[in-house]
Amino acid sequence: MNHPLPGPGTGPEDHQGDTGESRSQRPGVDRDAGRERGLVYRRSVLLALPAVVPVVLVLGVSLVGASAQSLGLMPFIGPPVLSTRGWAGSAGELAKSATVSAYIAAASTVLSLVVGFAVAVYILAAPRMGRLVAGLSAATIPIPHLIGAGAMGLLLSDSGFLHRLLGMPAAFPALVGGPWWIAVISEYVWKESAFVALVVIGSMSRSMTGLCDSAATLGATAWQRIIHVVLPLSVPALAVSALIVFVYTFGAYESPWLLGPTSPEPLPVRAVRLFGSVDLDARPEAMATALVSVAASAAAILAGVGILRARRNVR
Amino acid sequence: MNHPLAPLSRSRRVAVPVMAAAAVLVLSSCAGEPGEPGEIPTTYESFEDVLADADGQTVDLWMYGGDEQGNAYVDDVLAPAAAEEGVTLRRVPITDTADAVNRVLSERQAGRTDGSVDLVWVNGANFSTGRQAEAWRCGWTDLLPNMALTDQDDPLLQNDFGTPVDGCEAPWHKAQFTFFYNSAAITDPPTTLEGILEWARDNPGRFTYPAPPDFTGSVFLREVMLSTAGGAEEVPLDYSEETFDEHAPAALDALREVAPSLWRGGATYPRDEQALNTLFADGEVDIAMTYGPATLTDLVASEALPDTTKVLTLEEGTVGNASFLAIPANASDPAGAMVVANLALSPEQQAAKADPGTWGQFPVLDTARLDADQQSLFDDLPASPVVPSYDELSRNAHGELAADWVPALDEAWRQEVATTR
Amino acid sequence: MTAVLPAKRPVRPGTRDVSVQIRPVVRAGLGVLLVLWILAPLLPVVLWSVAGVWRAPAVTPDTYSVNAFASLGERATLRAGLASLGLGVAVAVVATPLGFLGALAAQSLPGRRGRAVDLILLAPLAIPPFALVLGANTTLLRLHVPAFAGVVLILVVTALPYTAFMYRSALAAYENQFEDVARTLGAHPRQVIRHVRVPLLATATARGFFLAFLVGWGDYVATLLVGGGQLTTLPMLLGAAASSTGNEQLTAVLSLSVIIPPVIILAAFGIPALTRKAVA
Repeated sequence: MNHPLPGPGTGPEDHQGDTGESRSQRPGVDRDAGRERGLVYRRSVLLALPAVVPVVLVLGVSLVGASAQSLGLMPFIGPPVLSTRGWAGSAGELAKSATVSAYIAAASTVLSLVVGFAVAVYILAAPRMGRLVAGLSAATIPIPHLIGAGAMGLLLSDSGFLHRLLGMPAAFPALVGGPWWIAVISEYVWKESAFVALVVIGSMSRSMTGLCDSAATLGATAWQRIIHVVLPLSVPALAVSALIVFVYTFGAYESPWLLGPTSPEPLPVRAVRLFGSVDLDARPEAMATALVSVAASAAAILAGVGILRARRNVR
Repeated sequence: MNHPLAPLSRSRRVAVPVMAAAAVLVLSSCAGEPGEPGEIPTTYESFEDVLADADGQTVDLWMYGGDEQGNAYVDDVLAPAAAEEGVTLRRVPITDTADAVNRVLSERQAGRTDGSVDLVWVNGANFSTGRQAEAWRCGWTDLLPNMALTDQDDPLLQNDFGTPVDGCEAPWHKAQFTFFYNSAAITDPPTTLEGILEWARDNPGRFTYPAPPDFTGSVFLREVMLSTAGGAEEVPLDYSEETFDEHAPAALDALREVAPSLWRGGATYPRDEQALNTLFADGEVDIAMTYGPATLTDLVASEALPDTTKVLTLEEGTVGNASFLAIPANASDPAGAMVVANLALSPEQQAAKADPGTWGQFPVLDTARLDADQQSLFDDLPASPVVPSYDELSRNAHGELAADWVPALDEAWRQEVATTR
Repeated sequence: MTAVLPAKRPVRPGTRDVSVQIRPVVRAGLGVLLVLWILAPLLPVVLWSVAGVWRAPAVTPDTYSVNAFASLGERATLRAGLASLGLGVAVAVVATPLGFLGALAAQSLPGRRGRAVDLILLAPLAIPPFALVLGANTTLLRLHVPAFAGVVLILVVTALPYTAFMYRSALAAYENQFEDVARTLGAHPRQVIRHVRVPLLATATARGFFLAFLVGWGDYVATLLVGGGQLTTLPMLLGAAASSTGNEQLTAVLSLSVIIPPVIILAAFGIPALTRKAVA
């Protein structure tokens, strides 16, 4: 690791312990501490660069490009003309699409948290069966959503596997392509609850055992221990995974495209349809739709990270 | 630099140039409008020049990859023949032809002249989109020796959905929009499009169509418009807002009216032709439709569709089209692409491709221009047990409306039919 | 060293079931339900992969065939498999160290700056992959970025939130306290690295690498639009097969061929680690 900063230290790891003494010939303790902090900052900023630069560059290029196209500044044919038609021309539909996307994301997030938490508790509570559930649950994580959606379609569609298993009842509800997006949400919950469970297990196992033992000693029932010990301890992990699940399900295309109804359209489905339109004039609208999706997700991340940070500071 | 805030200004110093660089990168790509110097493609005077240039080229043929027979034909029949002429043919499977057109447009937007698409299987609105954006190489088909075997006056080969072909694409197949039904469920099938809608009303839940802008659903929409207008000859091929306002409302009314009787009460529609076929195969609906009747033979043979599947021909005829091979203006290997396009037009290839066991695509050659040996290639082809001959299918056929009708009708359908339930 | 680490204290077998006791009957019932929930969507895929003909209302396939599995042996399919593998590894090899550096920086930068790095590393999550690709494609083409490098760049940015997140949570969980304890107990910095940092980061590295690998292995959109047809991966074949009628068997087989290799990797390395983690 290239370390361009002056001062002792052979690597990033050995800092706090000895640097205070080695530089104590300088007058002023505050100033010294400031300098020390400055060194850490600077090194940290340098550390951040290799990750931050590509992200900022690609995101910047992508957002500037999409914005320019949404405003008619990068047409495929003809001179660029600034126009807000891509935005204003379909404000009503954009709002409707955003509502649908928010519904899908919210429902998927809440259910993923519930199921994911249940899976995590189960894995922690049941010795043998828990290991099986842990293995199977982890095995669904590598499955791409496109395949997950295809599989959910085979299971839940009219004349699908479930319908056949039940003996083809006429009253089989419209799960695929129905008004409540049940197949879409099921696919998200199926995949994302495994993710939630993984994050929760990863975060809570260490401190929990002791606390649960104490709670058990104090006579708490299993249910009480789950609600009063395990759940509070899992809140940070649940919050972080909720944020990721919400943002992902808000912007994902494959599942609602394969399993959703023709109308109304969530933002990503609308954006991709318009982008692929044979009408070249539909590109600005496609980009505007994609940007609304980006803006909503960014707002969710900002809000989420803000809340997480605030909580951490309170503790 | 000793100030504790130094790192902040440092990180700002980094972030600002990075953002600026991003903006410059993007804006510089706006500046490169297509048509700048250096884009003029090599032109060829004779097919010998083309052959000489083509030797050793690798041609990337972008085509819809969901048709196993089509894939197998290109890989196992066309590609080896191209190899004999010194051209390596690489098939790039895509799920939608619009992906190929988008790729070409993006490359041209970026000012790239070494495009990754050499040949596209295309027609209709995608072709017209490319023409609007001047994305196709034009005026090259006259060079192809085998073009002489086609009928230059054939309207299907002169105009592609109302867009003049102008030597910007070489014909490959003909196709006929075709309805089919399950004869186990329907003994007395309707014989007109109006009859199909009436049948749908009498048999609630047993009919539907793919949601436009799916290619097939979109064709169905236009066919309904021609039917409600009183026949294909009533609607001018060229699009204008007046003719749209004159003819579209009746079609949309008819579809809105039939919607409650459709599968799922018209609350949703199958996503595409494949989804409709699945419904048909599972017995959810009894009538389905395709613009590629060539595939039916194989689908029935492989039992993907029930063996009781029968083609439903309409008295008033259906719409027919031709599909083509087009070369993007920025193709890296245009000479090789021309060699492949010429080869694809040869009687041997057209006949091989017309065999229902291979692909079953209808040939674009004019039999009158073939010699006896060439004609016998076609005469010896086995008949399909499912699909009638092209002559029978295309009886009373009409041509496609201009491509501008397509997005206009699709959008109106989305606004007025899809959202009403 | 282990003696100083609270997390590594010996674990008594059975400690875990004491912690949250649930009645055995309920537990078994719940377990069966959860297993069903996880397996149900995969069942029709597995059945389709060996089904010749399978039409409603048949609950099991009408005829069986393994024809589609033969296509896995074809050269084109094998080549696509290798391309997917290469893409997955390339994305993981780049995104994992970058995620580590980013997480380290976010961890050590306090206040607003740390938050900024966190936000930047999470930001790609807010941008749906298709939007990222549509916006960036023209510029990549203009800069003559080779197809493979372009796809890798886009996917690295997509994968960074995951790798950074894995390291971020691993680092946050320890918050230097073990290192401080170790140092207080007189451990040499190198020992601290070897015995404290490496083990705790090994799990995060494995997970981050695996998740980043999956981003490349299963990608469709970026491969299609940025790869420009030069890169035929398994998902590309799958997309083409899925867009056709009567190809359910091939689609199912290709789906399994995308799902199974990572699951094998997971089974070989991941699940033991996961269950160990659950025990610890």
